[in-house]
Amino acid sequence: MRIINVPREGVPVFTAEDVRRDPAMGRRVNVKTEVVVVGSGAGGAMVAYELAKAGRQVLVLESGRYYPSARFTEHLGDTMTQVYREQGSQFNSTADVLFPEGQCIGGSTVIGAGVMQRPPDSLLQRWANELSLPQFAPATVASVFAEVGREQFVHLNEAHEINATAHKVIKGCEKMGFSWKPVARNVRQCALTGHCLAGCLSDRKMSSLVTYLPWAAAYGARLFADCHVSRVLLRGGRAVGVEAVVRDPQTGAEVSRMRVDAEVVVVAGGAMQTPLLLQRSQIPDSSGQIGRNMAVQPFVQVLAQYEEPLYGFRGALVGVEIDEFMESDGYMFFSALAEPEQLMVQGEQAAGAEHIEFMKRYRHLAGLNAFALDEGRGTVSWEGDLETGRKVISWNPSQAEFDKLKHGAALAARVFFAAGAKRVHMPSFRPLHVDSVFELDHTLDQISHGLKGMYSLRINSFSAHGTCRMGTDRFQSVANPQGEVHDVKGLFLADASLLPEPIPAAPHWTVQVMAKQVARNILASASGLFLDGNA
Amino acid sequence: MTRTTNTSSSAGAAAQAAAPIVSLGRRRFLRHALLGSAAVLAVAGGGFAWLRRSPVDQLPVPETIRHLSDAEYHLLHRAAQVLLPVAGSALVPLSQVPVVANIDHMVGLLPAHIRKQVGMGLTLFDNAAVIAGWHGRRFVDLDDAAAVDYFDRWASGNSIQRALSTLVKRFVYIAYWRDPVTWEAVEFDGPVSERWGLAYLGNAPLPQEQGEERA
Repeated sequence: MRIINVPREGVPVFTAEDVRRDPAMGRRVNVKTEVVVVGSGAGGAMVAYELAKAGRQVLVLESGRYYPSARFTEHLGDTMTQVYREQGSQFNSTADVLFPEGQCIGGSTVIGAGVMQRPPDSLLQRWANELSLPQFAPATVASVFAEVGREQFVHLNEAHEINATAHKVIKGCEKMGFSWKPVARNVRQCALTGHCLAGCLSDRKMSSLVTYLPWAAAYGARLFADCHVSRVLLRGGRAVGVEAVVRDPQTGAEVSRMRVDAEVVVVAGGAMQTPLLLQRSQIPDSSGQIGRNMAVQPFVQVLAQYEEPLYGFRGALVGVEIDEFMESDGYMFFSALAEPEQLMVQGEQAAGAEHIEFMKRYRHLAGLNAFALDEGRGTVSWEGDLETGRKVISWNPSQAEFDKLKHGAALAARVFFAAGAKRVHMPSFRPLHVDSVFELDHTLDQISHGLKGMYSLRINSFSAHGTCRMGTDRFQSVANPQGEVHDVKGLFLADASLLPEPIPAAPHWTVQVMAKQVARNILASASGLFLDGNA
Repeated sequence: MTRTTNTSSSAGAAAQAAAPIVSLGRRRFLRHALLGSAAVLAVAGGGFAWLRRSPVDQLPVPETIRHLSDAEYHLLHRAAQVLLPVAGSALVPLSQVPVVANIDHMVGLLPAHIRKQVGMGLTLFDNAAVIAGWHGRRFVDLDDAAAVDYFDRWASGNSIQRALSTLVKRFVYIAYWRDPVTWEAVEFDGPVSERWGLAYLGNAPLPQEQGEERA
């Protein structure tokens, strides 16, 4: 029997400050390990936990800072600056589509709303049958979903976790005859603060910060924050480690250079950062698909005003979902209302008296986020050289995607009107509102696709995926069904980039399931991957 | 002393507010259009120069403003008055929220190249009113109704106009609404965990494995 100590709170993490203070580390640090994991979010933390638990020597490198929960202020502006990538301003190349993403120990799990959703079984079955990915067959994968769910207290929202915004959605759905259900979330004893996106101060959200990372550390995994991996090292068609730069999180100044020699490299930086790292590393790309096929799961927020005050910003941020259109049309709808500052970035921006009237009725608002299944045409690419190059995220809605988002907004508006809304605000850059369901179509006609759909609908994306898709054909996919990059032995991927197609579901749970499978694939192939040869 | 929100947390707000102008700088077509428009306005001759004169230019700028030019200060000061007509409502008056000082602070945190683009965008937004809509005056000299109309027209105009009106509105609205003093009026609770005395739960328990024991 072994005894495992999980710290009561926090995670032991080496930071840039630790490196700077330790004269033994110097300006160049060399580390040897069996497995190096790049990224500490949903996928990376899971892999680190599974491999460390199996007795492997694991080192996790995270580019973001270590920000313990106790430092959260429940002020979204503070959190965005500290733990969101690019301080919450990661946009597409036309800067009209926002891609919020966590950049901290725990990654986006720290700033997410905790929504856990399984893709439809019909989709998983199709992946198993048509894409030759048998690990996704519902009968096979169900037990892994259940295991991940148990580990994180995933449960359907109970009555007290469904706030006034969500109740308006329920009422509208009942009148329209649309199917709805409580959202499943990974939270224990939710305190209903409504501050999920600003980090959970009392550690009720089961982010990697309080689950897989402290568990992995308890099994001996080591974690480095502030550590920007610049490239994966290859030798003889095999991944042999990574190079990284340790940077001061406040100033960005270089503190140290790090080289990690490893027998297995797992890249889990998420659908944006993983392909960028592979591109910078000049990983062989027979398929030409690295950084392509990006699905963004675009969404727009429709706001409705009611006669009575709702205080829709109180309670659990996400209460219910409308699942009527998930399988048939790829639409997802989640109830939620942003706090004032974020509303100014994402939502209504009328000018003058109209803005004042809008904000005076803030407590009367309900919000419904309408997500559409997109075509997976986005790209993310690294332009320029290793040191001075930059990331370019290219996605603007096609006419078809734009029409789909508009239709999603119309459905959300109809649900709100059915629940008695007095006014519905359209999610457009041009301030538009509707006071009756009969005006809806005419108003929507005023929102046109225009030039590449730019600055027309207010679009956001929390869930990019598919940029290094998994498949059996090395000329069509980046990684094989085990998660190992085609043609590069020992280089595995374990994040949303692996998803083979756009999915009509929040990808968090699926990513953790895939990462668990990838970790187990690594262990199953240990004899060919590790020098000690032990399975 | 002028109160502004703290430095570190303003950086994110600045980046979000400036995003629309970054898009124009990144896209060659739009960048050329932006530069072209600015150039046309700049060289449109003595008539334009005469028209763009404003009594506002003679007004003093607070010494605490460190990053905005005088013209930018006057533009944003006027934009705040137009966008946030809080008089007569329960919302916090502009005299209690240092909107332009907050923007000045945010602008000071922007990288130099983005700062330059923001300046170009603000200049264009202000000066284009001379021609756009045949106002014959800069934005800073428009009366309240005309100024709101200018915002509304640009919000439904071409991509450049939508981006620039969004830029100005985002700076002003974020600078106002991110200040906690503005929340009580709309009954937004702000931080609650400490106020409610919520217990801190710490790390989740390790999933139980056979042959292992948690300590």
